[in-house]
This record gives sequence, C-alpha cells and structure tokens, in this order.
Amino acid sequence: MSEHKCNCENPLVPGIVEVIDIKDETPDVKSFFVRGIGGGVPFDVMPGQLGMVSLLPVGEGMYSVSWQEEQEYLHFAIKRVGLMTNEMHRIEVGQQLGVRGPYGNGFPVEECKGKDMLFIAGGIGLAPLRSFIKYCFKHRQDYGKIQIIYGSRSYADLCFKDELFEEWPQEKDTEVYITIDNPEEGWDGHVGFVPAYLEEINPAAEGKIAVVCGPPVMIKFVLESLEKMGYTDEQVISTLEMRMKCGIGKCGRCNVGSEYICLDGPVFTLAQLKQLPPEW
Amino acid sequence: MQILSKSKLEEALNQLGKNAELFVPLARGEESGFYPWSSYQAGSDRLMLDALNVLLPPKSVVFPQTERMYSFTSTGPAVEIKETFESPQPRIIFGLRACDAAAIACFDDVFLTMGFIDSFYQARRDNTTIVAHACYEPGANCFCEAMGVDPTEPVNADVIIRDAGEVYIWESKSSKGEKLTAALGSLLENKEAAAPGLKPFQQQANYEGVAEKLKGMFEDPIWEQLAATCQTCGICTYVCPSCYCFDIQVKSWGEEGYRFRCYDSCMYSEYTQMAGGHNPRGNERERFRNRFLHKLQFFSERYGKPLCTGCGRCIVACPAGINIVEIINNIKEADTSVRA
Repeated sequence: MSEHKCNCENPLVPGIVEVIDIKDETPDVKSFFVRGIGGGVPFDVMPGQLGMVSLLPVGEGMYSVSWQEEQEYLHFAIKRVGLMTNEMHRIEVGQQLGVRGPYGNGFPVEECKGKDMLFIAGGIGLAPLRSFIKYCFKHRQDYGKIQIIYGSRSYADLCFKDELFEEWPQEKDTEVYITIDNPEEGWDGHVGFVPAYLEEINPAAEGKIAVVCGPPVMIKFVLESLEKMGYTDEQVISTLEMRMKCGIGKCGRCNVGSEYICLDGPVFTLAQLKQLPPEW
Repeated sequence: MQILSKSKLEEALNQLGKNAELFVPLARGEESGFYPWSSYQAGSDRLMLDALNVLLPPKSVVFPQTERMYSFTSTGPAVEIKETFESPQPRIIFGLRACDAAAIACFDDVFLTMGFIDSFYQARRDNTTIVAHACYEPGANCFCEAMGVDPTEPVNADVIIRDAGEVYIWESKSSKGEKLTAALGSLLENKEAAAPGLKPFQQQANYEGVAEKLKGMFEDPIWEQLAATCQTCGICTYVCPSCYCFDIQVKSWGEEGYRFRCYDSCMYSEYTQMAGGHNPRGNERERFRNRFLHKLQFFSERYGKPLCTGCGRCIVACPAGINIVEIINNIKEADTSVRA
C-alpha cells in the first residue's frame, strides 16, 4: 500500500493524509484541508462525491468533499453535530487522518453543460454545492448564468464568507443572493427564509438547472417553490444524506428503497427521488 | 454414479478435514450450527446431517460475526495503518441445504458485484468449497420452493449429496468439487442409487407477484398491523442465512487499536441514527417495513431475486410468533384497491 494514495486493493482500508490547514467557517463549522503524506491528494473526486474520513481511534464519518484543489489538497467543511465531529473540531494542523473514497455518483456536471445554474443552499448544505459551484467557475465557458441563493440562521452561521461576499460576486455573469433568518445589528442584507427569498427573486425556469441542499425542512419548501415557479422534476437536483459505514453499497443502512445513497447517490434528480419511497 | 456409503461418512469427513477446515452441522448442547469437524466430541455432539436446518446458518464461514479489518497505531498526530488480514485456510461447508447455499449466492451478489468487490469476503469465499445436501422432505417451516429455490438441485454447490437410504449419491458440480472427489478416492464407490421424490411442502407461501405489488404498498396501513407485535429484537436477522448488514467499529487501547466489522441489524434504531438526531427509520414499524421490503422487494429490484430463501429459521426463532410466510401471504392477498 502506497503511503498517500487510497488503497485500491481493498476499498475498506483507508490511506493516510495530513491536515495542512484548518479554518473556522462559523461557530460550529470548520474547514479541513488535507493532503497525502509527502504531497498529493489521496484520490481524485468529482463535485458532489464523498470521502470517508477516519479520526483514529474515535470514528469514521462520511463527508462531501467541498473541493479538490488540483493535486494539492482535498477540502472538507465539517459541522460539529456529534461525537466524531466534536473530536474533529479539536484536532490541530499536522494531525494525520485516514481517508478513503471517492464514493457516490457526484453531480451531473456534463449533463448540465450549456445550462444556466441555480444553486440553492441552507446552512452547511452549501458544503456539497460549493464543489459544483467552483467547478462551474473553473469551467466558466461551459455553463450559462450562475445564481446562488444561500441562507443561514445568522451572519455568523454563513459558511465560506470570503467567497460569498468577495470572490463569487466578481465572477462573470454571476449573482449571489444571501439571506439570514432574523434581523441583526450590522446586517443590511436580506432577512428571511430561503424558500421565500427564492420566490421573491423568481429565477425563470427556462434553460435552468436548480441544485438544492440544506436542512430537510428547507429542501421541502424549496422543492414546492420551484414546482410553483414552473421547474420540472428533471430540472431539479438534490444531494441526500444518510448514515453510512462502508461507502460501497454493502453494509445496508443507507438505502432508500433499492438505492444505496453511498453508491447510487448521493445526487438524484427530483424525478428520480419521486420514484423512491419517501424516506429521504 | 458415485456414492458414499453412510457407514463411511466419518471416515470421509476425517479425510476431507485433512486439507481444509471442515464445517459440519452439529447439535451441541442446546445449540446447533456449523462447527469445525475437528471440534466434534463423540458422545456430546450430534452430527445433524440428516436433520433439516440447524439453528444457525453457515454464513459465518464466509462472513464472520466479527472480523478484524486492519490495525492501527495513533501516536500524537501520527497515524499508521497495518493491514493484518490474512487469506483464510481452505474451508469446506459440508451438508448445508439448498436454502443456505442460495443465501450464499445472495452474499456473492452483494459482496462481489455492483461496483466494488469486498476483499475480505472474496478471500473467504474463494477458499470455500460448498457440499450441499439436497432435500426431499420439507420441514414444518420450510418454504424455499416458493422463494425460487429448488431444494433438490441446490445452486452454488461444488458438490451435491443426495440421501438414498444407506448411501449418499455424490455429484461433483465444479473443479472445487472434483478436488474433493479426488481427495475421497476409494471412499467413493461407483454404484447406482436412486434419490427419492420431493414430498409436498407444509408451508404455502405465495410470493408470486409480491415484489411488484409491494411497489405500491410503502404507505399501506397493512404495515401497522404486521409490525404490531414485533419487539425489534433482531433475532430474525441473526439466524437468517441471507441477512448480511454489518457495522464497522473500532477497538483501541492506548495508542493501538484495530478496526473491525461485525453483524448489525436493521431492526435496531442506531442502525440509521444520524449525528445531529435525524433518523429516517426511527420507529419499529419503519424498521420492520424496511426489513421485509428489503427481503421481498428491494433486493429483488437490485439483484433479480428475493433476499429470503425460505429456510424458516426466523419463524422458529421469533419470540413474538411473527411468520414471514403469513406476511408474504397477507401482502399477496391485501386488497389495496379500496385504500386511499
């Protein structure tokens, strides 16, 4: 087994990476930048694909890869919600982790070429979408207009602030709309929930693909809004989350109907989701 | 035709046990299952070859209840992973029935197809030879035929043995089987013998069309009624020859530890419990429904056959008397047209 590449002989055995940088995104979200021991990335990922991160001996957890920067690093943005993520938030630069992957289908970047892109996210839901957003910017000529609608509970809870407020609005033919749930001092931007803001902005459905990720309740209302606005089920894409252990469609737990989220997902069109039992 | 005289059975088992770890159905105390022939204690153990199913299926031979995946050391920020898995010795499962052989075929579908190959399983499976024992007299809880399993022609077998009174008819089905034939040498004789005809099943499960029908029954009120007595104890998954769901956990002491996998059960709430609190199958009815849909619909959609081979062990083991044959028949007979 090589030192820094994933062990392709046995998909359940992780390779070792090193944390090269950690950044506070919000009070409960941190970004972790990892690379192989001696350089390189442990594996190549497409936007929306997953990586299984091991913090030994604590645990192993599946996270969307928020970005792969060439052969330099993988970026995971991880919210503190449980045992494993609590411990992840206590590690320091230089910590070595196990990582295996890539898992899952990822976003349909090819099929979306030539389309206008509408990204709608809430809270940590921006983490998986970010890889697709950055991919569109990297291949800017392949995609049409880009609109990003993002909301969080408060200003402090907005992830990736540098990109949201500085970098992305500078990109060609790009609009970034940001909202927070409640008014607060010093915030002169939009206040309100994402679904209402979406209807206010009312981006035309024609020629567009909407990519949605966020808390389940936000997704539910956003899907209703999109339908009202004339988006077909084929024009709407989401990425799902379930508890996972193996990542390779064997251990059983992440099924929705006969589909395994780790293998057949996590990305589905709304048309595909409507074929599945409503357990997502 | 080759036959093995029943009077030479022990000698044959001794012979096969020389070159491989040989698992045979034994009754041991209050338990019965597939145990190493080398551990057989004449007097206290009973060879159960001519009984039907023993209490526990042979799945642990190819898929152990716990299995170390790799060990690690974690020293300050540094981590080292050591692959410790070694390919197992050649193994033989001797005398499993068609239902259990078909269940291993389900494992093969799960672990060896659909994108990723599970290396741990593959190593054990490649080194395992299956001697299946054809059935002609279904037991009180047997319903394999209804699930598409022919009890007289076990699939996935390297050798099929058939009870013909004083002798077993020995039929090699693969190159792995030929090796056993060669190992037995003159213990096998060339003689004619006739297997009996298949007697009727006592359990009548009507699975035909059920997988298709279930597609429209996810929200059907029938689940409330079917799941009412289930205690979600998980014994059905433990005794099931085709249940394969597993967990991955860590055992550590100081700077050292190992990661292992072990049987899990979809009947437990932690199985799908997510960090942060959300659980897509948080209540008993949802877990019960998922288990039976997995067995009767989802697996069939994914792999083209149900994940139940009709062995009947869960019927015997369930403390609440839940009977999968009745569940299949209830679903089959449910009138869904009158429901909203």
